[in-house]
Amino acid sequence: MNALRVRAVVRRIVAQFRRDPRTLALLFVAPLGIIALLGWVLSSSGASTARVAIVNESGNPAGAVVVTKLTDALKNLPKIVVDADVHDAATARQMLIDKQLDLVISLPKDFSLQSRKIELKTLGLNPTGEATVIPSIQQALVGAVVSEGGGALPTIERSTVYGSPDATTLDTLAPVVVGFFVYFFVFILTGISFLRERIGGTLERLLATPVSRAEIVLGYSLGFGFFATLQIALVLAFVLGRLEIPALGPVPAFAIGLGVRTVGNPLIAYLLVLVLGLGAVSLGIFLSTFARTEFQILQFIPIVIVPQGLLGGFFWPIDQLPSLLQPVARILPVTYAIDGLRQVMIAGADLASGQVLFDLAVLTGIAAIFVGLAAGTIRREVA
Amino acid sequence: MSSPGTPPAAAVSSGEPTPPASPAVEAVALHKDFGPIHAVDGIDLSLPAGRIYGMLGPNGSGKTTLIRLLTGLASPSSGTARVLGVDMPSRANLARIGYMTQADGIYPELSVWENLSFFAALYGQRDRAEMIRALELVELDGRLGTPAVDLSGGMRRRLSMACALAHRPTVLFLDEPTVGVDPALRVQFWDHFHRLAADGATLMVSSHVMDEADRCDELLFMRDGRILAQGTPATLRARAGTDNLETAFLHFAALSASTPATAGSAEEAAP
Repeated sequence: MNALRVRAVVRRIVAQFRRDPRTLALLFVAPLGIIALLGWVLSSSGASTARVAIVNESGNPAGAVVVTKLTDALKNLPKIVVDADVHDAATARQMLIDKQLDLVISLPKDFSLQSRKIELKTLGLNPTGEATVIPSIQQALVGAVVSEGGGALPTIERSTVYGSPDATTLDTLAPVVVGFFVYFFVFILTGISFLRERIGGTLERLLATPVSRAEIVLGYSLGFGFFATLQIALVLAFVLGRLEIPALGPVPAFAIGLGVRTVGNPLIAYLLVLVLGLGAVSLGIFLSTFARTEFQILQFIPIVIVPQGLLGGFFWPIDQLPSLLQPVARILPVTYAIDGLRQVMIAGADLASGQVLFDLAVLTGIAAIFVGLAAGTIRREVA
Repeated sequence: MSSPGTPPAAAVSSGEPTPPASPAVEAVALHKDFGPIHAVDGIDLSLPAGRIYGMLGPNGSGKTTLIRLLTGLASPSSGTARVLGVDMPSRANLARIGYMTQADGIYPELSVWENLSFFAALYGQRDRAEMIRALELVELDGRLGTPAVDLSGGMRRRLSMACALAHRPTVLFLDEPTVGVDPALRVQFWDHFHRLAADGATLMVSSHVMDEADRCDELLFMRDGRILAQGTPATLRARAGTDNLETAFLHFAALSASTPATAGSAEEAAP
């Protein structure tokens, strides 16, 4: 291993990128654009007014008092309209199905100030959109019940007419998006760069110099790691930060960044994504062996990238996948990156967490396997 | 960078007569098969240092494969390739070898200087003056900042050559170096090749252009992965009884076709 040769490879990659502003734009502007669009779509779905009904199935006086308090509390909230004419569960359910109601707050038959169980029912067709109104209703609920019963918090149960109440919000989606983007872009760019080395004759020429395969893979990892680092930092800053821009003349007020709350350390999130990205560098080098044109590299997207999006925990938790697909999901690197990122960003786990360490270890192992595969496909019949 | 201590594998060459001085480039019963195709089909070479060797032969005669075997980019099916006394493949030995590939093998996004300094760095060359000299030879010293993609085809070829020269290799393999290079510059190239050889470098130049052959010290006529004949241009002409190298090539080609394969070496050994 010769540091000067590795440095030469790294500097060359950086110089190539500098000469290729469109690729740089793909790396830095595209993810921001897509994430901004995502944030925009998700936030606007919360902007519509939610129609809410409160049903008291218990019929006892304690329940009636809570209903009154709750109705008053909800009336003061923006974007929530309480439909006071609905009183029985069957009507409420039908109105949810007919889309005359968005959410039903139900005090079950056994409601009492002791059990304090309250159900929130939505349609379940669009968990993401339905969930946006829930936090404010929960606050109102807690306020209404606590002021009545004193002290203990109520148990709130989420249920939906269809599907499951496992709602995905921007908060839970953000970690996934961060990991996925880095994987996608790093893989595509490395795959195409290395393919060009192969078909342009420069790889042949590289291998006629004393550079070793390990030095080439390391140089590529550091060179692309450098750009991945910038990309991750930018994407994380955009997802986690939020800058409010006031209205200026005809330009309405807007915000840059999504302001997703993270409880964990962004540096650990960064570490997870970086290890994922380094694996993607080697995977790109490895798979470039099996492509003859840039177009064929793009053909790997549905084969390599999309399944990871479907199975990696993007939409469904691994445990809920069909049993045959679960082992498949467990060998995909994105699965571990998403799990680790959720642990860190949502659950606030740090490096003391066994789960995060496990995810990091698996990602490192997968990256190491890809490095081996990549080095194996850079053919020179030299040790 | 180089490993002078590496001993040549003596066992393989035990049957061969030992040449007087250690040759710069050697091949012993070298074979390379790609499936049923014998790309290199039993080549024995022993080329002393400080000379220019021209490999001549039609497309597919095994010139590039022979170079790839000698540079260690391919490993032989059987036999031994040896450069400067070291069995190839040897990564350390590559620091003393230059290889100008048939494809340009340069990075189009990078400037002339970035391309040159990249390859120089891989070879461990840090002498800036030497790098500039390589660019002066190919008359690209005035275009250091030009991206390679903006160069003409001939200029790219010249940059490719500079990249193979900048680390002052002791043995230089040039695969069709003058394709697309205009005649005036071609003359300069050959003058420079002779200067390098005079300084002790060994050059192996492949070509299928016969008019360049006369500028070589020695010629290797190649066909079907074998060497038909080897000698100075004058010797080969005399043996073929013609003034024309092209006719000479055809003479040796016909000779090898009409005689069994084993007689090929006997023809070369003939006085």
